[in-house]
Amino acid sequence: MNNRKNVPKKMGQAVLLLLCSQSLFAQQVVRYDLYVSDTVVNYAGKEKRAIAVNGQIPMPTLTFTEGDTAEIVVHNQLNESTSLHWHGVFLPNKEDGVPHLTQQPIAPGESYTYRFPIIQNGTHWYHSHSGFQEQIGMYGNFVMKKRDGDKTFRKGIDDLPTVPIMLSEWTNLNPNNINRMLHNANDWAAIKKGATQSYAEAIKEGQFQTKVTNEWKRMLAMDVSDVYYDKILINGENPVELKTVDGQALKGGDRVRLRISNGGASSYFWLRYAGGKITVVASDGNDVEPVEVDRLLIAVSETYDVVVTIPEHGVAYEFLATTEDRTQSASHFIGNGIKQLISPLPPLKYFEGMKMMNEMMKMNGDLDDMGMKMSLNKMDMNVVMYPEITTNIVTLNYAMLKSPHNTALTEDAPVKELKFTLTGNMNRYVWSMDNKILSETDKIPVKKGEILRITIYNNSMMRHPMHLHGFDFRVINDLGENAPLKNVMDIMPMETNIIEFLANEEGDWFFHCHILYHMMAGMNRVFAIGDYQNPYLPDKAKAYNALQMESNMLHFMAQNDFATNGNDGEAMLQNARWSLGTEWRLGYNAMHGYEVETHLGRFIGKMQWFMPFVGFDWRYRKMGMDEHETNLFGQKNEKDTRRAVSLGFMYTLPMLVNFQAEVYHDGIVRLSLMREDIPISKRLRGGFMVNTDLEYMGNLRYIITKNIGIRAHYDSDMGLGAGLLLSY
Amino acid sequence: MAVSLSSINSFAQIKEAKTATVKIFGNCNMCKATIEQAGNVKKEAHVTWDQNTKMATLTYNSGKTNPDEILKRIALAGYDSESFLAPDDAYAKLPDCCQYDRTLKPAAKSKATHDHHQAVPSANATAANASQLRPVFDGYFSVKDALVKTAAATASAKATEWVAAIRAVEMDKLSTAEHTVWMDVLTDLTANAERISLSKDIAKQREAFAALSTQLYELAKVSQQETTLYYQHCPMYNHGNGANWLSKENTIKNPYYGAQMLACGSVEETIPMH
Repeated sequence: MNNRKNVPKKMGQAVLLLLCSQSLFAQQVVRYDLYVSDTVVNYAGKEKRAIAVNGQIPMPTLTFTEGDTAEIVVHNQLNESTSLHWHGVFLPNKEDGVPHLTQQPIAPGESYTYRFPIIQNGTHWYHSHSGFQEQIGMYGNFVMKKRDGDKTFRKGIDDLPTVPIMLSEWTNLNPNNINRMLHNANDWAAIKKGATQSYAEAIKEGQFQTKVTNEWKRMLAMDVSDVYYDKILINGENPVELKTVDGQALKGGDRVRLRISNGGASSYFWLRYAGGKITVVASDGNDVEPVEVDRLLIAVSETYDVVVTIPEHGVAYEFLATTEDRTQSASHFIGNGIKQLISPLPPLKYFEGMKMMNEMMKMNGDLDDMGMKMSLNKMDMNVVMYPEITTNIVTLNYAMLKSPHNTALTEDAPVKELKFTLTGNMNRYVWSMDNKILSETDKIPVKKGEILRITIYNNSMMRHPMHLHGFDFRVINDLGENAPLKNVMDIMPMETNIIEFLANEEGDWFFHCHILYHMMAGMNRVFAIGDYQNPYLPDKAKAYNALQMESNMLHFMAQNDFATNGNDGEAMLQNARWSLGTEWRLGYNAMHGYEVETHLGRFIGKMQWFMPFVGFDWRYRKMGMDEHETNLFGQKNEKDTRRAVSLGFMYTLPMLVNFQAEVYHDGIVRLSLMREDIPISKRLRGGFMVNTDLEYMGNLRYIITKNIGIRAHYDSDMGLGAGLLLSY
Repeated sequence: MAVSLSSINSFAQIKEAKTATVKIFGNCNMCKATIEQAGNVKKEAHVTWDQNTKMATLTYNSGKTNPDEILKRIALAGYDSESFLAPDDAYAKLPDCCQYDRTLKPAAKSKATHDHHQAVPSANATAANASQLRPVFDGYFSVKDALVKTAAATASAKATEWVAAIRAVEMDKLSTAEHTVWMDVLTDLTANAERISLSKDIAKQREAFAALSTQLYELAKVSQQETTLYYQHCPMYNHGNGANWLSKENTIKNPYYGAQMLACGSVEETIPMH
């Protein structure tokens, strides 16, 4: 079969030779040449930049047999550096493909060879570990077959016709821009998804109280995912038809094995099949005892091998992958003939989810599991949002995964216990472990030969697919020595899970949330096992600094209201902890005045509700319409021109109102209360400000596109104004 | 006249228009409305279905869509065409008058195998010396299952049968331990079971069920059990005071919230077969 996306455009040496294998006496070297280059695609109505490898998206499926030696030569034809990580593959640390951690980035124009023995089998995948390249095409299947005569060979499973499936999402937005918008709590994605959860919508559904409670607890509208995608792809296409496997036409009664990898950057997918039950036979490349389910949710970067049956001749059955937020899906029709559809999943009931979050969220931002001891995805709290009746639906969870082999670790090795709490907040999109991002932590030293037993508790509002490089870990469930092996574990909010593995391979191994935008926000750790000398990284300390930098990048936002009575705007440069922001109000004449306030502050605490800052204000005005010389405290401030340095803090109160207190070098004090972005209706936002200088302001903003809005405001300095708000 | 004019209008809005004629299965005027509504997309696709010939004319913007996309939408609304079979649940939701003959769908034998799959391994064979209390537990579980499904009427009907079963217990045949507990719980148990049978209000039924579940638990601990039972706990019920119930399966299926919070809860205690 050939599922290659036909990526057009100038691909000089595209589709060169792919495979060139030489037989040696002892082992087989399987070589692939991968040419990485820019391309232009049109997946969702617009021509956009993407990255293709050998002219295709997804990247070619790389196939090996256990015992082979892989030799993969990457030719970087981009104008930026790149890298390839072999997800779930056991290999020497220097081949792991994490720039600045296990190798230097592959520079533009450079060719780079990865070479490692294949010492396992199963369904895996590979992707770029550089920037946001994974979002725009750099993902592909990586399949390692069992060798002939393998003792674990399963008749009726391992001999079935097999098809690799790569799930991914496409957005017409530049992923750098998505990242920036997430950090600035831009709710454009929610508008596109119909998930704004505004006051008007709340009132319409009789959930006003729910919305108020939600904002009282300082939560923004919650969703199961944060990015809006324009299209879902299966092997680079949608829909896809699978009529033959290995040249054999599919017919009624046939069973097909799908090797499914979720190469989406931030989407979980529900997998359902119109032809009946789905039999799960492997997870993350490790065999599990076959288990029949009606549906499963594949977490970001997980792989599952499933077997489906074609019940009738002359019918093709829809295998449907639907994003967890249910806004998009992709169809894969299996079989020949008329297409039997499966009903799409109905939209989520967001206010039910909000009600549930209200109950679970304590005032301090911690989650309260009400003693439910949640683990292993057994209890999906999102069920409250599902309109479908789930009574008779069997959904896969980690308690149902059973290894066919004894996976128990040796009892002789010393055990090192670690605990992590997954933390973060939506307001500023900071994601961390124990409230520390990678740039705030050192590598975690581990002795070679120790057993690492890790307890992970998710105290954040989002689920996190935690991935470990270089090893499979045991997921501790009730199955004792048959606990399943995985390298990704999805951890839902409030869950506590335990994983363990034998740290017997030296090197610096990445452990991180595989949601790309969470990883780039710093939700990472490094296990430094043994004292590994990496020939590619002579200066490891410097390289680690570079890695830390990349996971705490600065992001910028700016907006200006070009209004009838003046210009009103702000610009901010921020990272996970620091914020440098400046606000201005520039009238069109001296009576209205000109005013600029600049603050440099640091966010404190997990929820980042508290920010102390130093400030500098400058203002000029001819005493005009708002002639208050005296503030609420009787302090006078007479000059028309004022330059002042200040110390102060900002604190987010319930209802997401910001309280700001500032004292200037001349002793003048100013307190203010403000709130922006009150979601009045789907696209209408409100805001207000009052302060002890007896100034006040109120505004309404209608969002037209992600960058353009119309704004009306009344300001005690400048009066009534209406204008066009441009934001970046 | 107005109708045909407006339809001409909507045709006129479709650019790069192409047409296709396809058969779509259906019966009546109601079908016509559903089919056309499902297929139409403003400025992109327009569908006209003829009730007599079952033929539909698709007019569509070939730069933006294709017949398959239109027919898929129509199939998801419940109507088969030569390209797509509607999902069974979508077909089942059609009004009776619209349930056309599904001649394209392969014989319903797949249904039979499906049922077979789901068939519960029938609670096979009563043990020879079945406990006197067995009907009491059976009655409890059928009421519980009805509550899981939030089916008040079923719960009420099952509870009526259950009350009869409770009354039919011959106390003198119980073991001493069973007898002691039975005497203890009988009055409350009967009263609560009757409350369920007499009420049609699911909230009231659940209240009564929460009360009697503790009594059943006491009973389960001392009586002979043919299967492992699980004493399960829902922490949220009754404003966070929580409530328990007995189940034959390890998996949580919450009778206090049903589908609303089906998987909410945890196993407190496992009562082994004895």
